[in-house]
Amino acid sequence: MVKKRSIYPYLLVAPAVLTILLVIFVPVLNAILMSFQSYDLRRPQEIAFIGLENYRAITENTLFWGSLWRTFAWVGFGVGFQFIFGFILALLLNHSFRGRGVVRAVSMIPWVTPGVLIGLMWRWMYDGNFGVINDLLNRLGILSTNIPFLSQVETALPSVIIAIVWQGIPFFALMILAALQGVPSDMYEAADMDGANKVQKLFFITVPSIKNTIFVTLLLRVIWVANSVDIIFTMTEGGPAWSTQTLSVFIFNQANSLNLGIASTMAIVLAILLVLVTIPYLRISFRKED
Amino acid sequence: MKKKWLKRLVVVATTAIMGLSLLAGCGGNDTETPDGGAAENVETPDISEDTAETPDTPAVDGATVQFRYWADTPEFSQLMQDIITYFNETNTSGITVVGEEAPWDGGGFAENLFNSVMGGADIDVATWRLSSTPLFVNNDLLADLTPFLDTWDGVSDIDGNIWANMREAGGREDATFVMPWNLQILYVYYRPSIFEEAGIEVPTTYEEFLAAIEATTIDRDGDGTPDVYGFGLRGGPGGQEPWGSFVHGRGGSFEDMTSAESIAGMQDFIDVFQNGFAPPTAPSDGFSEIIDNFHSGLTAMTIHHTGSSGGMEEVFGDDVSAFPFPAGAGRWTSMADTSTVIFESSENKEAAFEWVSFLATGEGQRMWTEGTGNIPVSGTVQAGEFFQNNRFVQASIESQGFGGVIPILDTTPEWISTIFPNTIGQALLGQVTAEEAMETLQDALYR
Repeated sequence: MVKKRSIYPYLLVAPAVLTILLVIFVPVLNAILMSFQSYDLRRPQEIAFIGLENYRAITENTLFWGSLWRTFAWVGFGVGFQFIFGFILALLLNHSFRGRGVVRAVSMIPWVTPGVLIGLMWRWMYDGNFGVINDLLNRLGILSTNIPFLSQVETALPSVIIAIVWQGIPFFALMILAALQGVPSDMYEAADMDGANKVQKLFFITVPSIKNTIFVTLLLRVIWVANSVDIIFTMTEGGPAWSTQTLSVFIFNQANSLNLGIASTMAIVLAILLVLVTIPYLRISFRKED
Repeated sequence: MKKKWLKRLVVVATTAIMGLSLLAGCGGNDTETPDGGAAENVETPDISEDTAETPDTPAVDGATVQFRYWADTPEFSQLMQDIITYFNETNTSGITVVGEEAPWDGGGFAENLFNSVMGGADIDVATWRLSSTPLFVNNDLLADLTPFLDTWDGVSDIDGNIWANMREAGGREDATFVMPWNLQILYVYYRPSIFEEAGIEVPTTYEEFLAAIEATTIDRDGDGTPDVYGFGLRGGPGGQEPWGSFVHGRGGSFEDMTSAESIAGMQDFIDVFQNGFAPPTAPSDGFSEIIDNFHSGLTAMTIHHTGSSGGMEEVFGDDVSAFPFPAGAGRWTSMADTSTVIFESSENKEAAFEWVSFLATGEGQRMWTEGTGNIPVSGTVQAGEFFQNNRFVQASIESQGFGGVIPILDTTPEWISTIFPNTIGQALLGQVTAEEAMETLQDALYR
């Protein structure tokens, strides 16, 4: 006897599915369609299907390639240093000491501060005339004249990277700290009995035990940082001389200029790049399941 | 197996969506407001008295006009509310204006307005910048004011040059989509005490102006770093306006930025920075920075409009004054507008015109311009005592004759917001020559 399938469960999930379709998949599909059109709202009469023309146009645009390389630097250095300092902070916070609770709470402040506020704060600190960083460096005798950090090409990108590193350290620290507390202490005790030193314990017990957390956290941060606009836009708006314009800032500027066709095209390229980043994660996680 | 692939698909799709989500939630950011500055106390007329300036055409009885506007300060916001109240209580047509304030948001006002009107929002009138006109006209969103202007006796109270700018913005000879309201005309702020220290007089020619920039760059303590820079150069957002004065000072123009004269003007602009006559932060300096640098005494001159005059006087008292940008082979200064428009979708266009004409030449014009310090478009209001006894307003009025606007094309907003500051940054920092920068600017504006 064949059991009759009930429609009831489908009705229950239908509102959620429809909502997801309407608010996520429809706009995404629309963005994909726009990438094949000359969709510039400044010239609505000229909106038409143009095939892969937008994709060809961006590959011939030197600003696109410059933005792409800067995105790699922005994500690579930004997430890389967040991870290193976050790991160190997590290891420190994993030890008990007086006032640890307060330090843990305070160290979360950058993560809970809005990006725009972080951008404004660092912009003021970096100010080439009255900024506190120049003032401190002058008082310490390290500088004799102020550095216009955000006004010159050589220092602008490193300056905004420092700001995002500052923001992201607590997130790594939080995630890694949670994972560290799940590592069984008997493994360390066994290692002690075998005569392992601290470095060996770190690389042969701690890191392997929390590698999944590290991987997921890195993946999430890569996606978030690659997409982030707020800090760069608040600090430099992508300048000076395009020197801090990442792909996401370029997309933002193009969308702001109502050139939605080109903006969509670049957004899709960025999305594809981010999908590529997830492939190693998929391989590792499913290999584990198999 | 199927389940595994489904999971993979979900992860890939989610990542793609996170990437594409960038397209959502675009908005601008800038700290400058177009009319920014301190308000002077404006006298609010006694509503109980009859005034001749209130509209009196009873063709629009009981209509409601939805009015969206931006106000740069809480004082300006209150002032606009006072003007609306005054209009509502004194107009004889029973019109009710309902004001809805929105932030300027570095130009985001216009983008939000575009989205609202495209989405069918109930807005009859909005405050305006000319640079937004092509976008709205191309999408058939603005009402042609010509039928109203043809029968309105206030037309002659506003300078013909201003009407020409309004018409030009719409790109059609036979239509006027924008109603003038008030102006912000740029001039040079300077510190008389620093001029005295440098032993110079107010420059009367473009060459003298360049020499004054050099002369007022002063290293007081002899440490090799200037304590005062001659010019607060604006290389960041909004810098196209003072830059335009340099280009025209050499006889150049916006129409042909690749001419020898235009390139020479650009070279002057670059030289001011590269010769150390402007603060090292100039390539990224915007409104806040040039004003802060002037307030702190770091710069001897800078270019802005009356919106900042209140703050200047508060800091320096009499030790700040103004002069029109001097004439060279050519002469130009930015005459930015704040105007109003009526939307094509409005069902109360006549009532809406009553309101915008009240703002353009009526008591609303006097109240707003006296309260904000902006330059009135009404000749009658401009001739009033308030505007004749203010040195900053005088510099503005003297500049009116050679004031102009950056060409208003559908490419202009992007040119102003990203192309110009980054290209100027490249030129100031020596990445490109003046000629290369001008070619980029020309191509981007007229593409």
